[in-house]
Amino acid sequence: MTDQLSKRVVLWGLVWFSIVTLSLPTVIIIGASFTSGDIIRFPPEGFSLRWYWELWQLSDFTNALLRTLYVAVICTLISLPVGTLAALATVRYRLRFRRSIQVYLLLPFTIPLVVSGLSMMILFGEMRILGQLWPVGLGICIINLPFMIWSVSASVNAIDPDLENAAMNCGAPPVQTFLTVTLPAVMPGVITGGLLSFILAFNEFLVSLFLTDSRTVTLPVQIYNSIRSIITPDLAAVSVLYILIALIAVWLLDRLVGLEIFLRSK
Amino acid sequence: MPLTWRFLDTIEALVAALWPARWRGATGWAFLMPALLLVGVLVIGLGYMLEYSLHELNLATYRLRDEYALTNYATFLNRPVYGTVLWRTVLGSVLVTGITLLLAFPYAYVLVRTRVPWVRKALLVTLFLPFFIGQVVRAYGWLIVLGREGLVNSLLTGLGLPAQDLLFHFPAVIFGLVQYMLPFAILLIVPAITAIPEDMERASESLGAPWPATFRHVVLPMAWPGLIGAGVVVFTLTMTDFAMPEILGGGTTDFFASAIYDSFFQISNPGLGAALSMVLVTLGSLIVAAVFALAGPGTLGIRGART
Repeated sequence: MTDQLSKRVVLWGLVWFSIVTLSLPTVIIIGASFTSGDIIRFPPEGFSLRWYWELWQLSDFTNALLRTLYVAVICTLISLPVGTLAALATVRYRLRFRRSIQVYLLLPFTIPLVVSGLSMMILFGEMRILGQLWPVGLGICIINLPFMIWSVSASVNAIDPDLENAAMNCGAPPVQTFLTVTLPAVMPGVITGGLLSFILAFNEFLVSLFLTDSRTVTLPVQIYNSIRSIITPDLAAVSVLYILIALIAVWLLDRLVGLEIFLRSK
Repeated sequence: MPLTWRFLDTIEALVAALWPARWRGATGWAFLMPALLLVGVLVIGLGYMLEYSLHELNLATYRLRDEYALTNYATFLNRPVYGTVLWRTVLGSVLVTGITLLLAFPYAYVLVRTRVPWVRKALLVTLFLPFFIGQVVRAYGWLIVLGREGLVNSLLTGLGLPAQDLLFHFPAVIFGLVQYMLPFAILLIVPAITAIPEDMERASESLGAPWPATFRHVVLPMAWPGLIGAGVVVFTLTMTDFAMPEILGGGTTDFFASAIYDSFFQISNPGLGAALSMVLVTLGSLIVAAVFALAGPGTLGIRGART
């Protein structure tokens, strides 16, 4: 019995350390954002919504927020169809060179982000499209494509191919089979992937740093630039926005597909 | 619903006209094409990067010379500062990988083995919330925790101890990176632990093995592919990270990505920056290949493949 006790103590000791490490920045940011003082310190001085109000007044931040949302929507709209079709193709169809295709499609994940970001900066610069907003969405979509393909292919792996054959046998033409049998079956993966694309794009920093300039700066880059100059509590208020969106995403993911889906063995 | 039927029939006819049945064999490739093209954008960009790295900067005009030369690679080898930064990057990545796996493994184990639904849910939420918050925001959180007037220092002064300079040193960067990598590592280890039948552990324990022995000889070997996969992902992501060393290191503990950034934007030498990028890509791939050769491809080798 003492054996089981010591196992619990050691395991839970390490788990609690992880829990604190994972949650501490989030909790601290929320606390600090309500300060009424002029500088960030902990514990905060007093309680006020002052910095949220000041943030609302700063057009720099509200514009950056709108641009970030635009970029994230473009990224999600591109990666949803592209990633879903690619996942179906790599798992369902017998393609030649399948291993090479998989390695190729994983490139955005295996190439370091700094290098991908700078490569696309050079390419977009040569194409004279740097300085616009849509290439930022496209670039972020490319570097996160493996995540989209990966979440959909997990669902594709789980479909029984006989379902499609049954639909075809009963006379359903190909498009109808695709829309009424295949697509609903992979929906959990598509939802997870879409959510992931949006959140990753909304948070993407490094690639945005290279692909934006002072007129098209997105929110993570704006936060980074402010951290490098003066740290004021309005940054904590923006960060709370990020925390809220992450909370909504976790809640949505749990409602739509269930977080437990990630506990399955492959 | 005849209207939907008619609508579907039209689409069906349209698709049949645009994509005749004898092309059916190529449908897979048609599905794949958009993704191949998107990744192609990145590949073309990398081609430009390689091309840039082979041209020396003309200091008179601040443009790259037309003729090909290996000068930029020679600069990387000759300046000791790049060796120092590279060594710090690799050392940091080894440390971060070790600490992250040490923390991620018990977390994943408890997450899979707990029988209490709400504990599992709470652990999952604790894991996913930071996963969905970007690096910059999390680094900012650490600035408040570790800063001069931050949480740790107010606790220290509250206890009558002197305040410490915690930020802008190597340990702060390591700690920030561990926190960033933890969710990735846990999510990659979890499937490996799910695949271990609990009876295996019970069998070992009922034969009298104390739990550390069961862990060492039963659980760890069976979870090995997951640990290798997680370790490789954490190592490569850390080795190429920019934001954490930059924000929490405050310029004193640059990683290799910062050196690339500086070549492009501080000394405005894109040729050198491109050469350093190529070095980073090559080195990263070599290390991953070496790990796979020594320890097997782990769970990454079969990702997406049907088994």
